[in-house]
Amino acid sequence: MKINKLLTVLFLISVFFMSCSNDDDASTPRGDYENGILISGEGSGSTASVSFVSQDLSIVENLIYKKVNNSELGTFLQSMAFDGSRAFIVVDNANSISVVNRYTFENLSTITTGLLTPRYMTIVGNKGYVTNWGSTADETDDFIAIVDLSTYAVERTIPVGNGPERIVENNGKLYVSHKGAFSTNNIISVVDLVDDKVETITVGFKPDEIFVNNQNELVVLCGGNEAWTMDETIASIVKINLSTNLETVSLPFATGEHPTLMVLDNDVLYYELNGKVYAINENATALSSTAIVESQGFLYGMEVKNDRIYLLDANFSDLSELNVYNLQTKEKIKMASVALGASKIYFN
Amino acid sequence: MKKALFIAITCVSCFNGFTQNDLINRLEKVIIRSDRKLRQHSVGYKVSTLKDSVLHKNTESFTLLLRYNSPIYFKEYGAGGTSTASFRGTSASNTAVIWNGVNVNSINNGQTGFNSLTVSLFDAIDVRSGGGSIEYGSGAIGGTIHLNDNLKFTSKRQTENLIVVSVGSFNTYNSLYKFRLSDSKKTVKIGLSYNQSENDYKFLDTDFKNTNGAYENLGVNISLAFFINRYSKLKFYSANYFAERFLSGELPNPLAANDKYKDFNHRNLLVYNLKKSRLQHELKLGYLAEEYQYFEDKAISTFNFGKSKRYLANYNLGYSFLDKKGELASYTEYESILGKTDQILEKRRTQFSQSIIYNQKIGHAISFETKIRKDFNSDYKVPFTYALGIKVKTSNCISIRANGSRNYRVPTYNDLYWPGQGNLDLIPETSLQGELGVIYNNNQFKIDLGAFYIAVKDKIVWIPNGDSARAGVWVPINLSRANNKGLELAFSYKEKVNKHIFSANLNYSYTIAENEVTNKQAIFVPEHLLNGNVTYNYRQLSFFYQHLFNGKVYTTESNSKDFVVPSFFVSNVGVDYKLFKNTKTQFNIGLKVNNVFNENYVVIPRRPMPNRNFNLNINYKF
Repeated sequence: MKINKLLTVLFLISVFFMSCSNDDDASTPRGDYENGILISGEGSGSTASVSFVSQDLSIVENLIYKKVNNSELGTFLQSMAFDGSRAFIVVDNANSISVVNRYTFENLSTITTGLLTPRYMTIVGNKGYVTNWGSTADETDDFIAIVDLSTYAVERTIPVGNGPERIVENNGKLYVSHKGAFSTNNIISVVDLVDDKVETITVGFKPDEIFVNNQNELVVLCGGNEAWTMDETIASIVKINLSTNLETVSLPFATGEHPTLMVLDNDVLYYELNGKVYAINENATALSSTAIVESQGFLYGMEVKNDRIYLLDANFSDLSELNVYNLQTKEKIKMASVALGASKIYFN
Repeated sequence: MKKALFIAITCVSCFNGFTQNDLINRLEKVIIRSDRKLRQHSVGYKVSTLKDSVLHKNTESFTLLLRYNSPIYFKEYGAGGTSTASFRGTSASNTAVIWNGVNVNSINNGQTGFNSLTVSLFDAIDVRSGGGSIEYGSGAIGGTIHLNDNLKFTSKRQTENLIVVSVGSFNTYNSLYKFRLSDSKKTVKIGLSYNQSENDYKFLDTDFKNTNGAYENLGVNISLAFFINRYSKLKFYSANYFAERFLSGELPNPLAANDKYKDFNHRNLLVYNLKKSRLQHELKLGYLAEEYQYFEDKAISTFNFGKSKRYLANYNLGYSFLDKKGELASYTEYESILGKTDQILEKRRTQFSQSIIYNQKIGHAISFETKIRKDFNSDYKVPFTYALGIKVKTSNCISIRANGSRNYRVPTYNDLYWPGQGNLDLIPETSLQGELGVIYNNNQFKIDLGAFYIAVKDKIVWIPNGDSARAGVWVPINLSRANNKGLELAFSYKEKVNKHIFSANLNYSYTIAENEVTNKQAIFVPEHLLNGNVTYNYRQLSFFYQHLFNGKVYTTESNSKDFVVPSFFVSNVGVDYKLFKNTKTQFNIGLKVNNVFNENYVVIPRRPMPNRNFNLNINYKF
């Protein structure tokens, strides 16, 4: 009996300790850069870089890749993609993807072969799908590179139209917006992951940001051709029904207006126009005329999460500015100097 | 093919050797310099000359030549890559390159690429510190670099041949051949140069090489002059240049680079001089054409291009009086430029300018000069410019010099017309600047120490949102004001003990180039820059040591310590042996070791510069 009791106590104690250590495991940071925001900067004369801002906005650390790995990323850092433990840093001019542990930022590998002006990446299973402009002097050699994420080798490519940009996956299909690289384009490529077959959907010119919403629609921001192209077209936000691949909604901008950024968060669409940010309900049938916040600089990146909007005022010859606003009060709650040529925000 | 051309030039030069027939005695000679303005109108300025012997020792590139022999900082994108100058902390378009008196900065971007020019064919290069828009127009703010052909008349018929051939690491071959035929009435000079290199040096501490860095270029220069009669002569200068080079990549993946650049330049100048008693007339006609082609992908034949044609006519009149102690000179210039790029339709710009220069010597000790210039330009208003210079000899060894001037840099074709981004409302950048210097000169030493100040306003800067009507578009605007100040020291020393000859020269510059609003140092301007050459000569043997200390530079406007190019110190050494020398012929063989300490350094971030490398050269004059 005594022994049983003792065993029971020991059992309970061990369970207690085990659970304690389990708890500890869960709360031990997986690296210095967990629970925060990663900001990627394209760089220009100076290196592309990644900045870290802690969740409570109290800590700002620049050049984290360089600090951890003692090497530079090159130019121009276009975008990043993530899976459970890794971050993939796509640097277009360097034809490279630097693979790092997303929480410690230690370099795991750098992919330098098989890519040609890589832009954006999405991950499906153990494969990375990377849009590539190909040679910038050739408008017919653009492709999607398929990267094996165990070997970090490009295993094959799928040719697509000129200037593939953003890429998202939905229901076994890849959706790619073709902004048109150094010229312009007006298509969305739809790639079937089973047989690599590519279909295209025509949209407005310069489609850039794309999101799949809860109604199985693809929301696309088409920036339109600017006046200097001598072939100006109207910008629009369009929705495409992914069952039929047909356009269901189109919200046109006025002539001469060319929005460049869009974010979808909790059924609200946020978009940028001339340095001002507008918000509309996802089901809205018209654009807004009242800005919610206005940038003081060159608004180049935008993200929304948990009642906060994060704006990047990019500087290409110096550190850029991150401004964080409370979406309810529209009050600025943080300003910080971050990566040179800052363009993208990721929540880590 | 490349090699064949190289060999052809070398052999042709050897063949030409047989044509020599005259004995060369110690002859009287008259040297005609191409640029009267530089010689006569630099009172109060520092002008340093790099002689042909220096040029022939540094044939690898124009950038390298000036980096080790002038106070100018070069922003070079890897050895042999794009290279721009910063003189006294000014921007790339504020250093003017002058070919035989004509400003040859590009119409499209206002700059000269210092690796898209070979200069070993010129007889001398002069570097003049300080403003010179009066004489040379746009861009002469930090200073001017002069490429000069000197024509030589000799009392007896004379021929002279020179061959310089060098073979270096990374499959580098440089060759040049110069031929001169002259007598008391006429003179002809022909120069050929051909350079090529794989330029694939190893990036120290990495597995990479400077891939896609190869270059090859051919230069053909011809100049001639003859006396029409006792008072008048006709001169003709022609320089032609053909180059192809690849633009290397940067770490972490230099293999990504695949672009290529081609250049063609043709420069022709015809000059008529008439000098009779107190009057001197000079009429110049020039035709200059340049073209570049940029291939984003060397495997694809499509390219971007820029082309320009310039026609110019000058009439200069000089009148001397007061027993030739005073001179009044007038320079009248008309220029018509046709420029276009693949993005810009052909535009014509015409400019008319008139300058008046008065200089005078007072006694033996004082000389001074006053200059004014007014320009009329078809595209925009060019400011009225003026300059003053004075030099006073205070004792046998010491002189004081001072100058002050107003200068400008006009907007380039790209600034004005780039589709969607150009800005037709731009006005020229202008500077007000001054300098005070002391010269100490005895038989052994020469020291020139100068302090300068340059205030530039309306600097043309490309920024996003430069024009509120074009949100998000990069547009050039007249934005910032900058104040540059600093010191420039040039020192030379020569000592001869029996047959031991020792000489040294050194340039040091201290430069503060501040944005007037932020008070931060301009990007890519080192505070400290020091270079020097030491030579020791004993009989046929000579050794030299060359070094460069390049101070830290900031690469961001806020001078962030995270974005800097660290300082570096690079040394080259060499030995020369004179195999034989007599009145007719001279044959030298030399070995040079560049970056002898194998320093791992960069000028531009992520672009390592060459590791230790060798160059074997011969120099044959007959």
